[in-house]
Amino acid sequence: MLAAFINPFTDAIPSPDGIASMLWVIIALPLAGAFLCGVLGKFMGRANTNFIACATVGGSFLLSLLATWAVGYPSGQFVSPASNLPVKYALWLDLGRWFAAGDFSTHYGFLVDRLTAALLLVITGVGFLIHLYSTEYMEHDEGYWRYFAYLNLFVAMMLTLVMADNLVLLFVGWEGVGLCSYLLIGFWYQDTEKAWAGRKAFIFNRVGDFAFIIGMILMILLLGATEDMGRAGPARGNFQDIGRARAWLTSVHDQGPLNVEVLREWAIRMPPDQGERSRGLMTLASEITTPGPLHGKHVGNVLTAVLLLMLLGAAGKSAQIPLYVWLPDAMAGPTPVSALIHAATMVTAGVYLFCRLSFLLVLSPTAMVWVAGIGAATAIWAALIAFAQNDIKKVLAYSTVSQLGFMFMGAGMGVWWAAALHLVTHAFFKACLFLGAGSVMHGNAEETDILRLGGLRKQMPWTWATFLIATLAITGIVPLSGFFSKDAILHGAHTAEIAGYPHVGHWIYWLGLFGALCTAFYMTRLYVLTFEGKRAADAKVPHAHESGFRMVFVLVVLALFSIFGLIWGLPDLVPGPEGPKVAPLEGYFYPALQLAEGMGKRFHLVTHEVASPIPGFIIAWVIAVIGGAAAAYTYLRWLPSRAGKPLPAAIAVPWRWARHKFYVDEVYDVLFIRSFTALSNGFYKVIDEGLIDTVGVGGTAALFRRVGSWLRYTQTGNAQSYATVMAVGLLVSIGVVLTWVLR
Amino acid sequence: MHQVPLQSYLTLAATLFSLGVLGVLIKRNALVVFMSVELMLNASNLTFLAFARDAGTDAGHLPALFVIAVAAAEAAIGLAVIIAVFRSRGTVNVDEIRTMRL
Repeated sequence: MLAAFINPFTDAIPSPDGIASMLWVIIALPLAGAFLCGVLGKFMGRANTNFIACATVGGSFLLSLLATWAVGYPSGQFVSPASNLPVKYALWLDLGRWFAAGDFSTHYGFLVDRLTAALLLVITGVGFLIHLYSTEYMEHDEGYWRYFAYLNLFVAMMLTLVMADNLVLLFVGWEGVGLCSYLLIGFWYQDTEKAWAGRKAFIFNRVGDFAFIIGMILMILLLGATEDMGRAGPARGNFQDIGRARAWLTSVHDQGPLNVEVLREWAIRMPPDQGERSRGLMTLASEITTPGPLHGKHVGNVLTAVLLLMLLGAAGKSAQIPLYVWLPDAMAGPTPVSALIHAATMVTAGVYLFCRLSFLLVLSPTAMVWVAGIGAATAIWAALIAFAQNDIKKVLAYSTVSQLGFMFMGAGMGVWWAAALHLVTHAFFKACLFLGAGSVMHGNAEETDILRLGGLRKQMPWTWATFLIATLAITGIVPLSGFFSKDAILHGAHTAEIAGYPHVGHWIYWLGLFGALCTAFYMTRLYVLTFEGKRAADAKVPHAHESGFRMVFVLVVLALFSIFGLIWGLPDLVPGPEGPKVAPLEGYFYPALQLAEGMGKRFHLVTHEVASPIPGFIIAWVIAVIGGAAAAYTYLRWLPSRAGKPLPAAIAVPWRWARHKFYVDEVYDVLFIRSFTALSNGFYKVIDEGLIDTVGVGGTAALFRRVGSWLRYTQTGNAQSYATVMAVGLLVSIGVVLTWVLR
Repeated sequence: MHQVPLQSYLTLAATLFSLGVLGVLIKRNALVVFMSVELMLNASNLTFLAFARDAGTDAGHLPALFVIAVAAAEAAIGLAVIIAVFRSRGTVNVDEIRTMRL
């Protein structure tokens, strides 16, 4: 274990093993940065704090590059503790046991495969750019040290989340990013509304996190109940190989049941029911015979319950229906925070979770359909709300919710690589959009109302150019990255066939297309109202000023990535491992996701029909252009010509509904907050005031007061009356003794 | 020589004791109360000695002598207390001394 801490500093040439042993440094650097900024930041001064905050994340980025380099080659491999077989294209660092309780045990271990590597680069890369941007954005804020401490802590926690080799450690990061999100949304806590937004985000996350915890516990129970499959004899066991069965059983108790490798091995050994071929095996259809809380349940049903609970957890973190309402309010935080946490990284944790656990998800078609359905519903719902929002950050927030819905669609339709690709490209163009919005606010005296902006094209040329590129990317205009990533998801959904749910893929596809149309419309609206046309008459400042070098530099870098990200999504570019050519990122992620894809094919759980993506491309492109053109026409020609006239009723009514976010906040307010408050009030009145105060506390006091007031008459102060009582008492005692005891 | 039976001694002692109790409970004058206490003490002494004589041992004499010594000490302190009370309050009527009441 000590070697893990020493090797990275003594090995001169980075070898995959050496890189594996330094994985902990990737997290430790921003953590140390958070400590330094938080504790000493005030004394170090602004420049030193800025330097430390950026340098630690930059250092993490360089190390992440090394790790990514290592997992690019088959020599980057480790021996899986669960099967004793080598896992290629991945690094693993086990820092020893974290804690054990009864049969349960968990390690402090980090796993970096190609999926993690991509996220590492996004988190530290985009994270570094946003730190750099923040140094200028926060240059007038007194709380800069607090800000950078939180931001560094966030990066450390997000890295923990993606690098954890077990769900318990993942949950540490999961909670940690939630905490940082809360701290940064409420960063300007003197403003009550912003402080409340932070609380709202935290509470909605807690609802999801609680479901996640229950899901984890259920998974532990499920593994415990099905552990016997590792004990059956080699002739009829789920493990054909007694050695692998032993290795798995040992690691269940050593590494713990929630270790990703252990879960992966479990998923491999737990086939769906295949009739005659699976006779004598424990399958997803078998009933659990081990005594315990799961006795009599079917393995597959319990697994579905686990995944649905995790879906609720992911819905909390990734702002999906029904827990999405916190994200738009989270825009109360500083804009770079919105870009990093609430667009690029933290909110993608749910998507990452389903990609990481793809081998479990694939075993439950029901859960997959739910994931995709929730994603599609959220994608459209949020897009409809985004139509009518006038706050530049709110529109972007709803667009984030909507795009996350697309990623969930991808994860649910079995195209995890496309979900991850969209995650990466979305991180670039959405960060660019948010930072562009931040630049707009910076140059316009913190104005966020797009109706009071307008005509910024000439005044902020760099912000305009980058914002336009990012808008085109998210809209899905050829050939920007968003087009390919979104279309990879839609194509995957179109061709997907999920066992037991025929035609669901088509429905998801059409819903996704509609979502894409909405995206094109509201993003073009946002762009047109902010940058085109004339400057609004009631703008706060007559002339906007362009932001400084650091902010513009970051915008340009992100815009470039939004363009060149297309390379990863180009279909049929590189030869795939199974013959036909695939998109570069699909091939790249293959080692990490092959198990789930393979199981989906082998058991016919999720199959993808091989079809040319070209017709889908054309449809998607036409749809994006139609949506964009409609918005441009509406806001440049039609609405200005109707100035002063009311909107037609057919538009005005749904408009008002969308403007008020379909009153979801109000419904939640009545359903949960008011009813809960009313219930609490009832309990307060009946139990607290009625029972405890009156009968309990008040009753006891009254009883003693009453008894005391009676007894007070006996205290006369007259020695003779006391003596009389004593004499009588003595007499009675003697009488009792004589009559009863000495009889 | 005719022996006085034990019962007579005990009856006398009980009578004296009861008179003493009555005196303590009824009399208003602290001095008389005090004398009644002495009466009770001597009644108990009489009981001790009566039993000692009946049993033919000296064991009962010891507590009797002890009680006499205690009674002497008690009389000395008690009288001093009564005098002190009389000096401060001008009365020895126990009904009028109620400082035990809050």
